[in-house]
Amino acid sequence: MKRLLLKLRRHPSGLLGVVILVIVVLVAAFGPLLFPTSPWRMVQRPFLPPFTLSKVPLGTDALGRDVFAGIIFGARVSLLVGLVSTLAALLVGVPVGAIAGYFGGRTDDALMRFTEFFQTIPSFALAIVLVAILQPSIVSITAAIAIVSWPPVARLVRGEVLSLRGRDYVQAAIATGQTHRWVIWHEILPNALSPLIVLASLMVATAILLESSLSFLGLGDPNLISWGYMVGAGRTVIRQAWWITVFPGLAILLSVLGLNLIGEGLNDALNPRLSRDGGR
Amino acid sequence: MLKNVMLGLVMACCASLAALAEEPKSGGVINVVIQPEPPGLMLAMIQNGPTQMVSGNIFEGLLRYSPTLEPLPGLAESWTVSADAKVYTFKLKPGVTWHDGKPFTSADVLFSLDMLKQTHARARNNMVQIDKVEAPDDLTVVFTLKQPFGPFLGIFEVGSMPMIPKHLYEGTDYKTNPYNNAPVGTGPFMFKEWQKGSFIHLVKNPNYHVKGKPYIDDIYWQVIPDAAARSVAYETGKVDVLPGGSVENFDVPRISKLKNTCVTGAGWEFFSPLSWLWLNNRSGPTADKRIRQAILYAIDRDFARDVIWNGLGKVATGPSASSIKFYTDDVAKYPFDPAKARALLKEAGYKGEKIRLLPLAYGETWQRWAEAVKQNLQDVGMNIETIATDVAGGNQKIADWDYDIAFTYLYQYGDPALGVGRNYISSQISKGQVFNNVEGYSNPEIDRLFAEGAVATPDAKRQEIYDKAQKILVEDVPVAWLLELQFPTITRCTVKDLITTAIGVNDGFRDAWIDK
Amino acid sequence: MLSFVAQRVAKGAIVLLAIIVMNFFLIRLAPGDPAMVMAGEAGASDPIFVAQLREKFGLDRPLPEQLWRYVKGIVSLDLGFSFRQQAPVAQLILERLPATLLLTGTAFALSLGLGIMFGGLAARRPGTAADSAITIVALLFYATPLFWIALMAILLFSVTLDWLPSFGFETVGGNYTGTAHLRDIAAHLVMPASTLGLFFMASYTRMTRAAMLEVRQLDFVKTARAKGLSDAVIERRHVLRNALLPVVTLAGLQAGTLIGGAVLTETVFAWPGIGRLMYDALIQRDYNLLLGVFVVSSAMVLILNLVTDLAYRMIDPRIEYNP
Repeated sequence: MKRLLLKLRRHPSGLLGVVILVIVVLVAAFGPLLFPTSPWRMVQRPFLPPFTLSKVPLGTDALGRDVFAGIIFGARVSLLVGLVSTLAALLVGVPVGAIAGYFGGRTDDALMRFTEFFQTIPSFALAIVLVAILQPSIVSITAAIAIVSWPPVARLVRGEVLSLRGRDYVQAAIATGQTHRWVIWHEILPNALSPLIVLASLMVATAILLESSLSFLGLGDPNLISWGYMVGAGRTVIRQAWWITVFPGLAILLSVLGLNLIGEGLNDALNPRLSRDGGR
Repeated sequence: MLKNVMLGLVMACCASLAALAEEPKSGGVINVVIQPEPPGLMLAMIQNGPTQMVSGNIFEGLLRYSPTLEPLPGLAESWTVSADAKVYTFKLKPGVTWHDGKPFTSADVLFSLDMLKQTHARARNNMVQIDKVEAPDDLTVVFTLKQPFGPFLGIFEVGSMPMIPKHLYEGTDYKTNPYNNAPVGTGPFMFKEWQKGSFIHLVKNPNYHVKGKPYIDDIYWQVIPDAAARSVAYETGKVDVLPGGSVENFDVPRISKLKNTCVTGAGWEFFSPLSWLWLNNRSGPTADKRIRQAILYAIDRDFARDVIWNGLGKVATGPSASSIKFYTDDVAKYPFDPAKARALLKEAGYKGEKIRLLPLAYGETWQRWAEAVKQNLQDVGMNIETIATDVAGGNQKIADWDYDIAFTYLYQYGDPALGVGRNYISSQISKGQVFNNVEGYSNPEIDRLFAEGAVATPDAKRQEIYDKAQKILVEDVPVAWLLELQFPTITRCTVKDLITTAIGVNDGFRDAWIDK
Repeated sequence: MLSFVAQRVAKGAIVLLAIIVMNFFLIRLAPGDPAMVMAGEAGASDPIFVAQLREKFGLDRPLPEQLWRYVKGIVSLDLGFSFRQQAPVAQLILERLPATLLLTGTAFALSLGLGIMFGGLAARRPGTAADSAITIVALLFYATPLFWIALMAILLFSVTLDWLPSFGFETVGGNYTGTAHLRDIAAHLVMPASTLGLFFMASYTRMTRAAMLEVRQLDFVKTARAKGLSDAVIERRHVLRNALLPVVTLAGLQAGTLIGGAVLTETVFAWPGIGRLMYDALIQRDYNLLLGVFVVSSAMVLILNLVTDLAYRMIDPRIEYNP
C-alpha cells in the first residue's frame, strides 16, 4: 500500500484525481449536514440567475429550488450508485472470470458464451429496458448498471488467471494438495489485483455517467435528486436558465475526471508489472 | 383649415376601408408541429390527441361547434328536433364528395355509426340513448332516441363521430384496411404523404364543399420529438404554429415575446381539460374524507397556475369546468390553507402512514407539478413517496387501483352528462380502465342525480340537478380538483383565423389563411 | 479465413437467438402493455376497447405461442408487426436504420481518425506542451457526459451563434435536391456526429498515445533504428502498425457503447434513427418493435466485432486464428 502511494505521488495528475475525489466525497458526506435545506423545497422565485443572491449562489430552477442544494445532495446519489454498482459488478465478474480462466475447457467456453451474450446487447439499451421493467428506483438503477458492467471484469480476470495459472508457485500449490478455491483465492487473485483496481476505478466513473444518463432520460429515482436528473430537468429551459444544466454537468464532469485520473495514475504506477506479465 | 379636415376625413376613411379589406388571401404553405407522432390517422379507430389534430382536417362530423359550444352546420346543414325531444332530423349538405370523388350520402352516415359502435369507445357510449337511425333519402338522417337526451347535439364533433366512407370500408377488415394509412374523408385537406419520424403532408382539397375554402395550399405536420428542438424550430422560422402542448410551459413566456407571435388559450372549449388528483377512496389513508379535504387545503393551486402554467388556466372549484354547461361556483371553497390541512389530518388521526404519489408521465411540466404538490403535502406532515413510472406503467397502476394519489387530466366534452358523470357514478366502477370512476366513490344520491340530469328537460331543470350534484361532490372531495387547463396555441400573427371553433386547430385549417 | 467467418456467423446466430428469447420475456415483464398506453391516449375507453386493442396486438394469445410465432418470423426475416404504428417492424427499422448508420459511421470514422492522429501527435513529442494539451483535452471529453456536451453544443452553435441547425435530419419543408440536399444533411449531421464522436475520440487518443509510447520502447524498434531506417518509415511501418492493435481491439469493444450512445444523441438532436425508435418503442410498450431494434442493434455489434477481428488479423498477420 505504501509503495502504491509513493508511486502515485510521482504522478501529479493522479494526485489531482485523488484531491478531486476527496472533495466530492466530503461534499457528499458532510454537505447535507452543513446545508440541510432540502433541494426539493421551493425557496425563492423561479429562474433566479446564479451569483445574484448569496443564499442561492448557483441560482434557482423552474420551481424556485436551490441549484446549489441540488448539487450537494446529488453527490450522494452519484457516488452511492457508482460505488455499489461497481462492487456488485465485481462480485459477479470476478468469480465468473476466475472460474473460467482457472478451469478452462468446457467451463471456460460456456462462461465466455454467457459473457459474450451480455456484451453483445448494447449496454445502454439493456440498462434502459431493465430500469423500465423494474420501475425506476435507486435499487433498480444500481442493479441495471451492475448487470451491464460485469462482462469486462470477467474478461479481465479470466485473462489474468489464464496467464497466472501456469506459474510455478501456483503449480506448486496445486501439487501440494491445496483446494482449487484456496489456490484461486490466495495465490492467483492477489496477483491479479492491480489491473482489477484500475478497472474498478474506471468502472465507478462509467457507472456515474450511466446513472446520470438514465436520470437525464427521466429514468432516475424520483425521490432522490441526482445530477443527471437536474440536467434533464433543465434541458427544456436551457435557453432562459443555462445554469440548471451547466452546474450539475460540471459536477459530473469533475467527479468522473477525478476517478479517471486516479485510474490512470494507478495504471501508470502499476504498469511495469502489467507489461512484464504480458498482456495478450 | 378645411383642407386639413378634408385630409383627415380622407385618411380616416381609407383607414377604415383598409380595415374592412381584411380579405383572406389564398395560397401558402404552413408548417405545424405535431407531438407526439400519431400512431395512425384513421380517426374512427384511433382517438389520440395528435390523431384528432391532424385527421380533424381530413374528416368531418355532422356538426361543428362555436367557442360557446353552439352547434354549427358541418356535413349537416340543418336539423330539427321533435316536440318530445326524442326525434332529431338532420338534413345533409348536398354536393359533398369524398376525396376520391364519390358522393357523400346518408348511407355513409348510417355506416359510420355502425362502424364507430365497434371501434370508437366514446362514440359507443354517446350512442347508448339512440333507439334507431333511419335514412329516408340520400340527404336525410333521422335519429330516434329512447328518451330525451340533453347533450345529444353535442356528440357530433369530428373527433367524437367522424364520417367514414362506406364504399371503402364496408365489408373489409377494419384493422387491416389499406386506407387506414391513406385516409379518405370529406374535409378541407387531403392526405398526401407520411414520412414516419419526419412529417405528414396534407394538401388542399380542390373540390371542398365550402366554396373558396380552404385558403392554404399545403400543411406539413412536422414530427420533432424534442421540446427544445420544437422551440428552436419556431424561432428559426421552420414552423409557424405550435399547438397546445408542443412546447413546455416554461418556454411559453419567452416565445410569446418574439416578433410576429400571437398566443391564445382558445380552441379547447369543447374539451375543457380539467386536471385533478385521483384519491383512492377504497383503501389507504385517502379513504378518509377528512384526509382528502386536507389534501385539497394543502395544495397551493395558485402557485401551480402562476409558476407551472404561466398564469394560464383557472383554479378549479369542483367536478365541472367553468366552460361547460350547467356549471356553478356556489359550492364549498378550498383555499390554500396549510393550517387547516394539518388540523384535519390530526382530526383524522393520520400517523404518518406512507402515501404513494403517481405523477403523470407526460413531460416536464407534469413532473415539476408532481414535485411541487409532493412538497406541499410534505409541508403539512404527510409522508409522500413518488412512484416513478412511464405512461404504460402509470395507466396500469391506475387501472388496477394500485395507487393512493395519482395525477390526471380529462376532457369534459362540454356537458356534464358526457364528460363529468363517468367519474363519479357507481356503475362506472370497473377495473381495467383509466377514465371511469377510478377512485371508487359511491353515492346513491349522485347516481340518481346524474341519471336524471342526462334525460331531463328543459335546460333549467338540468341546471338545478347539476347544481345539487356539484355541491355534494365538492363536499365529499372524491378527487382533488386542481386546475382548468389552458393549452396555449402559439402562431405567427400572420396566420389568421386558425382558431374559430371550439376544437381549435383540430378543424381550424378550414378557415385559416396566411397574411403575406 | 472463410471458415473463420462462417464459424463466427454461426456462433453469432446462436447468440442472437438467445438475445431474442431473453428480451422477449424481459420486455413483457414491464408493467402495462400497448393496450394500456393506447387506451390512455384515447381520452376515453371501456373494457371492449381495451379488449379489442389486446386482440389486435395479439396479446391475448399464450406466451409460448407468441414467442414461437415471433421466432418463426425471424427466420424468414419478418420481424413482426407494430400495431402501434400500423406497419411491419422490418420496414420501420429499415426506414430509420440509414440515419443511425450515417450517424454512428461518421462518429466512428471521426473518432478513430482524429483519435489516432492526435494520439500519434502526442506520442511524437511526449512531455511537451502539445502533448499535455492533447492529453488534458482528451481527458476532459472522456469525462463529460454525452448528453451534456450535446446540450452545450446546441447552446453554443445553435442558440448563441446560429451556425448550425439543432435538430432533425434535414431542413423541414426544405425540398432540396442533389448537392444542396447533401449539404443540408451534412449541416444537420455535424453536431450529432461530433458530440457522439468526441467522447470516443478521447479514448482512442489516449490508447494510441499509450500504445505508441510502449511500442517505441520495444526491441524490434530499436533494432530497426540501428539498421538505419528513417524515423518516418519506422513510425509508419512498425510503430503505428503495432500500436493500432489495441486501438482496434478497443474499437471492437466499444461497438456496443457507440450504439448505446446513439440513443442519447438521437434523443437530444431529434435525429430520426433507431436509437430514438427504441426509446419510443419502450415507452409505448411496442413489444415487436422494441425486440426488433434489439435484434438489429445486437446484430450490428456482432458484425462490428467480426470486422474488428478481421482488421486485427490484417494488421498483424502473426496473430493466429483462435475464434
